[in-house]
Amino acid sequence: MKNENRDFVTIRLSGQLCGIPILSVHDVLSEQTITAVPLAPSAVAGVLNLRGRIVTAINLRERLGLDDGGEGNENMSIVVEYEGEPYSLLIDSVGDVLSFPEDKFERNPVTLDARWQGVSEGIYHMEGELLVILDVEKLLNFGTSQATAA
Amino acid sequence: MDDLLSEFLTETSESIDVVDVELVTLEQDPTNKPILDNIFRLVHTIKGTCGFLGLPRLETVAHAGENVLGKFRDGELVVTPGAVTLILAALDRIKEILAGLEATQEEPEGDDSDLISQLNIVASGGTIDGAAPVAEKAAEEDDMVLPEITQSTNMLPGQVSLEELEAAFAAAPGPDDEDNDENVAAEESAESQDDNILTRIGGVEPVKVIVHLFHNRILADATVKGLMAGINTRDSKDKMGNFFTACLSGKQDAGPSVSAAFAGFISHGITEEQNETICKLLTSVLEEVDLPPLEVDAFVETYRGVSVDILAEAREASKNNSKKGKDAATTAKKSGENGVANQSIRVNVQVLEDLMTMVSELVLTRNQLMQLLRNSDDSEFSIPLQRLSQCTTELQEGVMKTRMQPVGNAWAKLPRIIRDLQLELDKKIDLQMLGADTELDRQVLEMIKDPLTHMVRNSADHGIEMPADRLAAGKKETGTVRLNAFHEGGHIIIEITDDGAGLPVEKLKAKALKNELATQEELDEMSDNQIQRFIFHAGFSTAEKVTAVSGRGVGMDVVRSNIEKIGGTVDLKSIEGKGTSFSIKIPLTLAIVSALIVKCREEKFAIPQISVLELVRASHDSEHRIEHINNTPVLRLRDRLLPLIRLDEILGMTDAETDTDEAKSKEDYIVISQVGTFTFGIVVDQVFDTEEIVVKPVAPILRDLHTFAGNTILGDGKVIMILDPNGIVSQIGDNMNDTTGFGMEEEETLKKTKDDREAILLFGAGGNNCRAVPLSLVARLEEIDVASIEKSDGKPVFQYRGRLMPLVTLDDSYQLKEEGRQPVLVFTDGDKTMGIAVDEILDILEDEIDIELSSGIQGQVGTAVINGNATEIIDVAHYIEKAFGTLGTSSTSGHMGIRDQSHLLLIDDSKFFLNMIKPLLSAAGYKITAVDNAGDALRLREKGQDFDLIISDIEMPDMDGFGFAEKVREGGIWQKTPMVALSSHQTPKDFARGREVGFDDYVVKLDRESLMSTIVEQIGKTQNAA
Repeated sequence: MKNENRDFVTIRLSGQLCGIPILSVHDVLSEQTITAVPLAPSAVAGVLNLRGRIVTAINLRERLGLDDGGEGNENMSIVVEYEGEPYSLLIDSVGDVLSFPEDKFERNPVTLDARWQGVSEGIYHMEGELLVILDVEKLLNFGTSQATAA
Repeated sequence: MDDLLSEFLTETSESIDVVDVELVTLEQDPTNKPILDNIFRLVHTIKGTCGFLGLPRLETVAHAGENVLGKFRDGELVVTPGAVTLILAALDRIKEILAGLEATQEEPEGDDSDLISQLNIVASGGTIDGAAPVAEKAAEEDDMVLPEITQSTNMLPGQVSLEELEAAFAAAPGPDDEDNDENVAAEESAESQDDNILTRIGGVEPVKVIVHLFHNRILADATVKGLMAGINTRDSKDKMGNFFTACLSGKQDAGPSVSAAFAGFISHGITEEQNETICKLLTSVLEEVDLPPLEVDAFVETYRGVSVDILAEAREASKNNSKKGKDAATTAKKSGENGVANQSIRVNVQVLEDLMTMVSELVLTRNQLMQLLRNSDDSEFSIPLQRLSQCTTELQEGVMKTRMQPVGNAWAKLPRIIRDLQLELDKKIDLQMLGADTELDRQVLEMIKDPLTHMVRNSADHGIEMPADRLAAGKKETGTVRLNAFHEGGHIIIEITDDGAGLPVEKLKAKALKNELATQEELDEMSDNQIQRFIFHAGFSTAEKVTAVSGRGVGMDVVRSNIEKIGGTVDLKSIEGKGTSFSIKIPLTLAIVSALIVKCREEKFAIPQISVLELVRASHDSEHRIEHINNTPVLRLRDRLLPLIRLDEILGMTDAETDTDEAKSKEDYIVISQVGTFTFGIVVDQVFDTEEIVVKPVAPILRDLHTFAGNTILGDGKVIMILDPNGIVSQIGDNMNDTTGFGMEEEETLKKTKDDREAILLFGAGGNNCRAVPLSLVARLEEIDVASIEKSDGKPVFQYRGRLMPLVTLDDSYQLKEEGRQPVLVFTDGDKTMGIAVDEILDILEDEIDIELSSGIQGQVGTAVINGNATEIIDVAHYIEKAFGTLGTSSTSGHMGIRDQSHLLLIDDSKFFLNMIKPLLSAAGYKITAVDNAGDALRLREKGQDFDLIISDIEMPDMDGFGFAEKVREGGIWQKTPMVALSSHQTPKDFARGREVGFDDYVVKLDRESLMSTIVEQIGKTQNAA
């Protein structure tokens, strides 16, 4: 297991490159009609219909405390599953699928923003860029994360 | 779980439910043989099967119960309530064990010896072999090793012989087995044969076992058990056993005839399908006893061979004897056998659930396709899509039907409960169940089972009075609890009615006060029905003491919330002394509901149709419009004032930019909804059509939002949120209880406004001003023909109800209409009637009259802001005077003599009232000093002013009338002055309190007549005394 490669779907969020383990990605969607849900937590962008399933859309930017919009915003989303429920994570754009050997993985720097600490597994060094690995479980585990955010 | 065990559990619990009901019937009709037979058979089957499965504890209990039942059947014991109770207890114990069995797959530990010994004592009312149960137990246990017996022809020493086993199965004492000898003979003769199937399968005894198991299977299978109805199982076993023995040994003639061996099959008209089931059962039994496949086939073939004859005879029998068949069917039905059951198969509920989910998806997809079709003009898909749509609808209905169960299933336990209650409470109760075959969704049924049971229990425990009380109240000794279920417009209505004591309003009031659910004033204003609905609040049991039956703290609030959880509503009507009627309204199914699609701001929402009462369009120029009380929107609909909830506000969708007057002035749609007994309006921007939607639960992250009941996908493929009116109401409830915010304040204001509000008639009469008069002063509103107005003494009069009614105008410049009809406000004072001519009657509304500008103009009390407009309040007294020259004299003429000297002090916090009554009293000749609070009045006393009479309001801020009276009576110059209390409420309690603190009389506000006479009387008293 030591030197086995791990594959990640890379996404961009306000310029930051992030990776999501490929096995947890169910779908990549282009722009969708999203029905807003009033009164919902701010990170919930709304609900959308994905082939007859109702998917909760999460505004990842809001979730990670990033500022709004920016260049290259294609309004794409990635569908992941958490506790049997589908969630769609709204992102700016999707990049390549990258593969990294397990031993290149590094822990988060301790100085990383608490909100990011909470959802990130760790970091991979790339040429000239850092890839932050997002943990889907932690991203969607709102109950506790809301408390951290507050 | 082991298939066999799970099947056993399902069947046994079904049988027990049947026995439960049947026993109660039996108790009422102890001589009903078919019922008794049926009970006996069911209990026997239970016992037999658990013996077979190796469940000793269950078996011994069942056996002990069966013993007693056997005695009943043989007429050795009389069916008594006590014995039935004991058997029911045994059934309960069986249920308990079954529950344990279900949970752990093993019999739970426990001691049943107490119960068993009691049962045995009952059974041995005559003579019973004390050792019988033990022996039998042993026998039953040995049943487990039967497969081995069948494999080897030689019995192991110490094992129980089949005869003993048979005897054990026969269990309870009955007529002696006459066929026994014959059996043995047949066996012997059969055994002597060589080289036939019989020998290969091991002789006569295995056949007996097979036949025994075969019978059990038939009786346990819902589709074919009807075939054995009314047949003596033991006889049938013998005959069938002998028949098979004979057949298998190749000597068919030696055994009983086909028609004798399969009498049950034939007389009940066995069908092809049933026959197939029988074959399958037989095969499974044969496989179970580990016969080699070859022999299994041979055995089954033997049966198949004769089954042709059986079927033929069955057809013949049903043809020739259709009447008898019908009787049999009725008997079968009576004894709890559902005729339909023969046509049914058992399907795992999960399969149906999955099917339903898929159909729901299909419906959604269909809706989507139809939407696409609508958008394209002429599509080649249109015909096939129509067909698809049709099929989908039918499929949906079909699948829904599979989930439908008669509501009677939820009632099955009730007769037993009522029966137990009768004994426990010593009441006589007749339970009537109507419409038990009304069907509703399985899921819904499950959800209402407990609330229903609770309500019936409540009705019997709290509702129905003790027999003696009933007789004393002139009712029949036996109380009735009636359940009635029926369809009504896509809903099921279940009514639970009892003819008991009804809900005691006074007790409820006291309780509501104690629990601080309402204040005394609020209670006073409530109707009885509103007060009775308090029972739906938490912790509101009216039973004085907690009985074992109900009042365990689980109250009607739980019932209500359970029913509301499934989108139902519950309401009640109760008349004290006559009875109570609860009415539950529930949707037929939960999965697919009809919903109204509304739009609020830019989002669409669905509101379940069940909670929508009606739709109202409100705009400034329409009949209905939204009015505001202190910024709280309300709607007057017919004679009710409905609170309104703005959907955009509730959903936090208001934003400063759009939230302008312009936004509020456009037309609105109001969805009138009802939650429990609370009716309110939801203001939305637009209403679309209704759509069948499939409610899907929202993601866990959104589950805290009680505003939504779920979400769904509409025909256009968009996701839409489904609003939950219950949640909306609870949310505004939260807002009101929000102590930190604005809500509390608002609530206070609301309360205040409510207290001071009175009905006001708005009208126009010359000029642009709106005018108003308290509605309570107006006797009638009339429209009279202008042509019929006559002149008398230069003043207009009108013949009204055979009398002349003077018609006055508000001011002299006002012109009566030239033609057409003239609206007139009619006022009555004493026997005098006069009319005020007006242009038009604008409105009647409830508002607070707060006179802001008092007026110098005659005939006007002042100006108040009513409904946002400056409105002149007219002084009716002035016009009465104008019409008759003086005040209506009839009531006051008698007081003329004393009015010169009398000086009255009038205290009332309502300026309006002061202004209205002052001219009136002055006109009657009294000198009036009016103050608007008790403090000012007391200051007058200190100044040394003396009065002949003090008239004081009761409800006043700071110091109320009672407090004032106490102060007055404490001492000072007014100590002896007569005092009259004025109040808008008149209850005997208030009256008593008034007397206590020193008031001499008590008058209801606005009752001018009695006020006048009271004044005269009181002043007269003092003058006489002086």
